[in-house]
Amino acid sequence: MSSQATHARRSQAPARRALGPARAGHGFVAAYTVLLIAFGIVPTGYAVYFAFTNAGGRFTGLSNFSTALDDFRFGPAVGHVAFYLLCWLVSLVVFVVGLALLLHRMAAGGVSRVLRFLYYVPGALAGAASVMVWLFVLDPTVSPAAFLLRGLGYHTFGQVIAPGHLPILFTLVAFWTGAGGWIVVMYGALNNISPDVLEAARIDGAGAWQTAWRIQIPLLRKWIVYMVILAFAGGTQLFVEPQLLSQASVGVAGRDYSLNQLAYDFAFQNNDVNTAAAISVELLLVGLVVAGVFVARSGFFDAD
Amino acid sequence: MQTDVLRSAAAAAPRLGLRPGAGGAARPRRTGRLRRNPLPALVLALFAVFFVLPVLWLLLAATKTDDQLVHANPLSFGSWHALRVNWDALTAYQGDAIFQWLGNSAVYASIALAITLCVAVPAGYALAMTEFRGRRTLLVATLVVMLMPNATLVVPLFLEINAVHLIGSMWSIILPYAFYPFGVYLTYIYFSTALPRELLDAARLDGCSEFGVFRRVALPLAAPVVALVGFFSFVANWTNYYLPYVMLPQSNQFPVQVGLGTLLDSVPQFNPTAGSLEVQRPELALATLLAITPVLIVFLFAQRFLVSGMLAGATKD
Amino acid sequence: MTVKWRVVGAKTTGRTRRRAGFLAAGGALLLAATAACGGGTGGGSSQGGFHPVKQTGGSLTVWVDSTRLAAAKLYQKQNPSVKMDIVTYDGDANGSNYLRTKVSLFNRTRKGWPDVVFSSQNNEATWAVQDGFTAPLNKGLIPSSTLAGWAKGANDPCTVNGTLYCLRNDLSQTVLWYDAPLMKQWGYQVPKTWEEYQAIGRKVASEHPGYLVGSAGDPWTPEVYMWAGKCGANQITGPKAAKVDTAGPNCTRMASLLDGLIKNKTMSLSSVFSSDFDKNEADKVLMMPGPSWFGGSVFQGTFKTPAHRIAAAPMPQWSGDTAASTGNVGGGTWLLSAHSTNLKAAAAFLTWATTADDYQGKLAPGYPAYAPAAKTWLAQQASSGYYSGDITGTLQAAADQIWPGWGYGQFSQEAVWAATVTPKLTAGKTVTSLLPAWKDAIVNYARADGYQVTQ
Repeated sequence: MSSQATHARRSQAPARRALGPARAGHGFVAAYTVLLIAFGIVPTGYAVYFAFTNAGGRFTGLSNFSTALDDFRFGPAVGHVAFYLLCWLVSLVVFVVGLALLLHRMAAGGVSRVLRFLYYVPGALAGAASVMVWLFVLDPTVSPAAFLLRGLGYHTFGQVIAPGHLPILFTLVAFWTGAGGWIVVMYGALNNISPDVLEAARIDGAGAWQTAWRIQIPLLRKWIVYMVILAFAGGTQLFVEPQLLSQASVGVAGRDYSLNQLAYDFAFQNNDVNTAAAISVELLLVGLVVAGVFVARSGFFDAD
Repeated sequence: MQTDVLRSAAAAAPRLGLRPGAGGAARPRRTGRLRRNPLPALVLALFAVFFVLPVLWLLLAATKTDDQLVHANPLSFGSWHALRVNWDALTAYQGDAIFQWLGNSAVYASIALAITLCVAVPAGYALAMTEFRGRRTLLVATLVVMLMPNATLVVPLFLEINAVHLIGSMWSIILPYAFYPFGVYLTYIYFSTALPRELLDAARLDGCSEFGVFRRVALPLAAPVVALVGFFSFVANWTNYYLPYVMLPQSNQFPVQVGLGTLLDSVPQFNPTAGSLEVQRPELALATLLAITPVLIVFLFAQRFLVSGMLAGATKD
Repeated sequence: MTVKWRVVGAKTTGRTRRRAGFLAAGGALLLAATAACGGGTGGGSSQGGFHPVKQTGGSLTVWVDSTRLAAAKLYQKQNPSVKMDIVTYDGDANGSNYLRTKVSLFNRTRKGWPDVVFSSQNNEATWAVQDGFTAPLNKGLIPSSTLAGWAKGANDPCTVNGTLYCLRNDLSQTVLWYDAPLMKQWGYQVPKTWEEYQAIGRKVASEHPGYLVGSAGDPWTPEVYMWAGKCGANQITGPKAAKVDTAGPNCTRMASLLDGLIKNKTMSLSSVFSSDFDKNEADKVLMMPGPSWFGGSVFQGTFKTPAHRIAAAPMPQWSGDTAASTGNVGGGTWLLSAHSTNLKAAAAFLTWATTADDYQGKLAPGYPAYAPAAKTWLAQQASSGYYSGDITGTLQAAADQIWPGWGYGQFSQEAVWAATVTPKLTAGKTVTSLLPAWKDAIVNYARADGYQVTQ
């Protein structure tokens, strides 16, 4: 099960069209299609419907969008999510690729495997659990890294969670849970680069830097893009981290921080599902455009 | 519609035997140059500390009293007695609510997992191995939905579920969990790359029906991808917060992730009006440990047999 | 369908009453829209015409925060025949809006409402009435002879157009807590005015650095200092009208007082419940303005201050001010669900929880709003031997001095302060420089909740 199979099959791809009776195909995908419609397409349609109507169900044009846009929390929330995404994606690319390259170089079998495992274990703490842990790690009075926080001049939890720090802190949490998995993936991708290529580079006198920069990273490009797009989709969903932080900091940080929180507040606290839907539609649109461009342009995902 | 699907997917990094390209043979050589330079080792070690330290702290925190948590060395061991006390206090919270939440999580995650597998595997197979009208549309829709930030659909999903009067029922989260386009995509990639068409043709010549081909030929070969999809789906379902937070009004229906939020609210340091010191911080740490145990077990288990599943996303050059 | 109607303190005069009628008409229109989008919320409990659902009995679902859990548990113990389902939640602390969010969900599912809820917030009636969640209590559910026992004005936050929609749990009048032996040892007089208070702060800074005269790190900081200092930041002038003025002299002088003390480090910027306060500052409290429940909850419970140290004095006043004023931090309210299928049992529990000596008098951490229970409570405090000297007179007097110019809007002042002011104070800004930003935030949140705001 490897490249041979892929290539073998690829060569007969045209023939495949004739195979596989249509009725059977429909039978196999029927259940999935139902779910796709029920939980992918209908909610999207529902969101669009609500976004363009008022509470009475009358068409209102863009007024819900302008309500959302005019809300004093909207602009900051967009800024928060955008800045967080920037931090998260940049740190992901730089550190994941860097660490994978280092691990690959260092690869003294056992050590590398142990390190990769250690890096990836926090992934098990995704979601609320990661917030619970970081609430303590970021509190100088109980933190195991207290000396570091104090060294940076932060003596209280309040100083650590100053509003300007939040994108960095959320990035830290997301990186902590998410990066290990990607490091393992990148490591695997590096292993797929033929040793002959690296050997050739070495003979040509390329140093570690040059090999990484000229050969390994270009060959990793595809996976880096893949990682960025999945991380982008994940990053726009910021909800549980600010929500729990807001609870834990008695409202000092994280309230109405992200767009999802704002939509939630509109829907359930202001009883204004229409504006909430408008925010969802805006987010969906961005997500859709990014996803669409990616699927259509990158040629990365195989949709024949 | 899982909030953290993609992030957990990334976090999970399974390794399935569908290794593209040159396979895992390449074992890079150490260069003498690097050995002399201690910097890379230092960086790797520092990151290891970054990733491990919080986990270690969490393990130790559960063994302390609240007082020790604040005043003792953060990385010291408390006592077995304190662990015992914390355990008793935690399990006494609202009459073993923690077990109910864990049970809820288990029920939601596993029913959704079962549906996901029953739905996604045939769908991925059909997309990869058969031709039918609408196939390409379905594939593109799957890709787009998979890449869409799906937490944004939670509020509309709430409205939809509300319209069919399912709010407050466990199906309000199980069914959305069960819709797992990423799983379909992985299965699709797996079958496209790993299942030789000749096998299917041979089976057809032997008189197998289309379903027979799927059951006799494709399914037995699908074990790795079933494990892979199951792993992702389970982790995503277990760690989801937003969807159950919105859909389930009753606290006895919460999965453990939302339950953790409730516990957090009962810790006086985080909610000053919780004056009677009902839940102390070490109990919260213990609850967090309990909440992640199933995922951690799956992680450890997964490491043994899954090989580079994420790389499957880019098998076609 | 009724209207949110909450005039705080302003002893409801003829003028406001007329306005109430006018506003009620306008509000009804507004609410028609809300009800439409609420998916059939409300409907049930229009004021005066409360129609209980079919009384089928069943178990009594009670939501309490963890402090009030003791009340529910004790009731269960004393009344084993009542089937109770006790659930703890965050008590809506710091304006978390948990209750409102859940009620809005239940309104959609048409089931799941708790029968009785405790909330640590006093402003729940502002939405709970319009959402059709609360049952009117003074229309037969609870005898008026019982209701007459509440301290004067205590149930104002619960009253909408003369109908009572919740019951106040405790009064959280603020007083000046202080360490009596330490004050004596250092030769300080308990301050009667804010000016004296400030002067002591200066002295402490130079003579005993590290000691504190207060904390401004909690979300209720504005309620302790700004409310008691008569700052007009939160004037609720009608059901959907508010006046916000943070530039008045009372606001600015309180701000600069706080700034001076923060600067000389006698005013902490950590929450009194935070780990760092507990670790570094809990044994360094000389004085601390705070609500009545600080005594048991903060000093005895959290700080574990030894007995015979803590005493209570009246809040300082502005010098030259004749009418004494004090602030109020929470107090909490009990709500009874209009959807209860067990109104009788629910009302019985509600009455017990708010009035029973066994709980309010002997167990409750805060000063009971129900006057007869308050007597027992005060006696209990006096005999507990924890405090240095008698604190009952101070608390009793303060209960009647809560400044009426600060209202209960639907938006949470605590949440606004926590999000807007606290982080910037931590970052080194001054309260004075933040007054305009504070005002803007209040105005924004008030408008987001549909308030007409004058500034």
